[in-house]
Amino acid sequence: MLNKKYAYRLELLMIASMVIFAVLIGRMAYLQLYKGDYYYRLSEGNRIRAVKILAPRGIIYDCNGEELVKNEPGFVVSLLRTNEKPDMAVINKLATIIEVPPEQILEKIKQNEDSYEPIRIKSNLSAAMVTKIEERSEDLPGILLEMQSIRKYVNNELAVHVLGYVGEVSEYEISKGQNTDLKAGSIVGKSGLERYYDNYLRGTDGSYREEVDVAGRVVQTLDELPPKPGQGLVLTVDAKLQREAEKIVDEHLKYLRSSGFAPKANAAAIVAIDPRNGAIKALVSRPGFNPNLFVNGISSKDWQTINDNPFDPMSNKVISGEYPPGSTFKIVTGSAALETGKVTPQEMIFDSGKHWLIPMGNAEGEALGWLNFHKALAASDNVYFYEIGNRVGIDVLKKYAAMFGFGKTTGIDLFGENEGIIASPEYKMKVFDEDWYLGDTFNAAIGQGFNLATPIQLAVMLSAVANNGDIYKPHLVDKIVNDDGSVVKEIKPEKVGRLPVSAETLELLQSALKAVAQEGGTAAQMANLSVPVAGKTGTAENPHGKDHGLFVGYAPADNPNLVVVAVIDQGGFGSVSAAPIVQRIFEYVFPPKQPAIVNTQKKQ
Amino acid sequence: MEIGRILKRLDYVLLFAVLALTAIGITLIGSATHINLVSEDRYWYVQRQSMFAVLNLIFIFFSLRFDYRLLEDVSKRLYIFNLVMLLAVMFLGHSALGAQRWIQIGPVSIQPSEFSKIIMIVALSAFINARLDDLDSFWSWLPVFGYVLVPFLLVMKQPDLGTALVFAAILLGLMIICGFKKKFFARLFGIGVVSAPLLWMVLHDYQKMRLKVFLDPGLEPQGAGYHVIQSMIAIGSGMLSGKGLFLGTQSQLNFLPENHTDFIFAVAGEEFGFIGTTIILLLYLVVIYRGLNIAMNATDDFGTLLATGIVSMFVFHVLVNVGMTAGIMPVTGVPLPFMSYGVSSLTTNLVLIGLLLNINMRQQKLTFK
Repeated sequence: MLNKKYAYRLELLMIASMVIFAVLIGRMAYLQLYKGDYYYRLSEGNRIRAVKILAPRGIIYDCNGEELVKNEPGFVVSLLRTNEKPDMAVINKLATIIEVPPEQILEKIKQNEDSYEPIRIKSNLSAAMVTKIEERSEDLPGILLEMQSIRKYVNNELAVHVLGYVGEVSEYEISKGQNTDLKAGSIVGKSGLERYYDNYLRGTDGSYREEVDVAGRVVQTLDELPPKPGQGLVLTVDAKLQREAEKIVDEHLKYLRSSGFAPKANAAAIVAIDPRNGAIKALVSRPGFNPNLFVNGISSKDWQTINDNPFDPMSNKVISGEYPPGSTFKIVTGSAALETGKVTPQEMIFDSGKHWLIPMGNAEGEALGWLNFHKALAASDNVYFYEIGNRVGIDVLKKYAAMFGFGKTTGIDLFGENEGIIASPEYKMKVFDEDWYLGDTFNAAIGQGFNLATPIQLAVMLSAVANNGDIYKPHLVDKIVNDDGSVVKEIKPEKVGRLPVSAETLELLQSALKAVAQEGGTAAQMANLSVPVAGKTGTAENPHGKDHGLFVGYAPADNPNLVVVAVIDQGGFGSVSAAPIVQRIFEYVFPPKQPAIVNTQKKQ
Repeated sequence: MEIGRILKRLDYVLLFAVLALTAIGITLIGSATHINLVSEDRYWYVQRQSMFAVLNLIFIFFSLRFDYRLLEDVSKRLYIFNLVMLLAVMFLGHSALGAQRWIQIGPVSIQPSEFSKIIMIVALSAFINARLDDLDSFWSWLPVFGYVLVPFLLVMKQPDLGTALVFAAILLGLMIICGFKKKFFARLFGIGVVSAPLLWMVLHDYQKMRLKVFLDPGLEPQGAGYHVIQSMIAIGSGMLSGKGLFLGTQSQLNFLPENHTDFIFAVAGEEFGFIGTTIILLLYLVVIYRGLNIAMNATDDFGTLLATGIVSMFVFHVLVNVGMTAGIMPVTGVPLPFMSYGVSSLTTNLVLIGLLLNINMRQQKLTFK
């Protein structure tokens, strides 16, 4: 037995342990008793404080080099924490300088009673205030002036859902390990591109160490590590078009509400994209908010205003809003029927106002008579599409919808994109535990029922049609640049697939979509534009209120370089709520060459 | 064994010391993570540490029904599993603070190198026990050294110098109890001196920096030396009776880095003073005393070896961690048993206490009943 044979060695181990613990306790006695006073003074009086210098975040430019987001130097005045009660004389002096009532300062101190961090009294000080505080620093012990670079969204609300906003990283985010190199107090992107490209934009913080005395006055600065500024973004977005689009949307929403046509039309999603490469030229989500409110920590009042808005200003409805695609989905149903040979372009189908299998018809109950494909799509006839949808069958329809990009994210460079839903018997069984009926197929064929799509999915789908079948990933950033302007990374257009349709089908679709915006189409008012437009209206049934209005369009119809999608939440008919917005955007991008005269001549 | 006998044969002194240390630890973790301030996640660390303490105690209680000798039979498989696990960290783990040590399983990040401490104690004890009769020459120890070397190199590679040295400490403890001769130790020391430059070469830059800083803390006052200086200020400024719970300025103002994990002892020093640190250290001494007592009274060599290995590990951990916070040991990232925040480390330590209780319970008492 070991413990009999080598019992002395176990005793030896015990003695060795006791020696080790004696040494440790001795060391404690040395540090805490013998040198305790010395260390106590070190901890209480002179402290070496590491102060972080925040790296300026990268600048964000539009496609023409206009600054959309920049940094402004700012000063913040703070009060250092001590164990004593705040000196009223100092508080009063400070109050007069920064033009804040002393009670408010005391209130701030009270709020932060438990914190040992310096209490921020006021940020964004004016130059005069800074000078005065510096001049009188002798009379203001415990008052600290700090430089900080303040994020500035130059145009306030403009493109807020693209740009996003920044804020202090939360302890929760740090503990979750999403941002490993961050510490409390770091500024990070909280949404939009600010968040998606945070790693590029953020840069590396620097620091300096300074020795401070009991009152918090800096005794000396010891060393400094300069910060590395973040990299900038050059967007595909055109600020001029964005500004115009937002103006048009706001005016039109106001008109829809005030005219009584759609009193609850408060929310909308509009996106303009170049179909040839997926570059997004403008992106509007309504309602919006001012990102500058978040920069210095949002006030509870402002936060409440945003939070209480039932139309959720923080959400980017272009990528997260899920709407039934309505009649815009007929592009998919039509392609599926033509490609699988279930209908020929020439075949005539009779619309008596109702389908003969189930009494389902057009929204207003009208009957359009004999129709071929071209005419049916241009006039957005429901009976025709019920019939060909039924011939194709829900399973093939589902397959085509997936190939047109529905039911999955587009991969745009923003977080928070939703997938939408493709109607299918499996989905209905899973979610509603009900069997699939013929009526469900009818609904699916015209984009109602279970189908849900995001506006960006519609834009990508139509872009592919406009671009003869090539599908490009939508993107907002063109290149990433250093602060000296040199290019770090160029984001190349990324072709992610091809529509499963032949050249003939595409040609037929394009010509029918063009007819939509001609005399006899559902968006005939666009016939007078300086370039021919192609598009499709849509009205999505909304069980919770008025229908959503949709319009998807591209121009010039023969050689398209711009796709615009508009979805108006509770806007009613697409031709009234959404189409005019798209029309005005096209009018802005393609202004009449010689106004008035050309138009009248053409009319005659 | 039924519950009545388990309760009767528990080493209550050992259990009390461990529970006291764990409770003090949770209190200090609360202080170090600002539980007294209002924030989104103020209770997070304390809740997790408490939850795992309770879960482990329940687990230990149930494990006491099984004889620890069963472990001897599966020791080889455990050893292989350990190697696989350490390799898995290398390929699947995610890194923190420059070291690749964690594996994510569901909501928990586990640190396999913590659990490999248990396995190494068990596997090494069984390995030595199997060849106990022919360990009288220096060369007969070579297979034992080789057995430790493989996992040792794997954790070095992570890099986790702290755990690698824990393996060495366990081996040392077992060598002592197995009668490794004094002249053998001298020979080993000679080999060590000769190969030291080689070891220096395989160390990572940050590890070298820590060793250099240990020799001269003024070398890098903002980097590695900063931790130690701030930690010494924290401990020293606690003086005789401490500044009081939640009142340590060093810990509360975030001058102390990692204050809820590796530097928890500095928080104890600052807030509880010399009285507090002495009580804590004496509690550890109680754990060690009871552990060696159990080694002494074990009825088989495997039990003696296990208990000795466990005690060696605890001595090493306390010495290196407390020594580090007090500026007399280099910074190696070894947690303080039962007190540092970390569910992997807490689990490992409590399981080892469970093993000690198990060995104690199966001593044949010379009583007629």
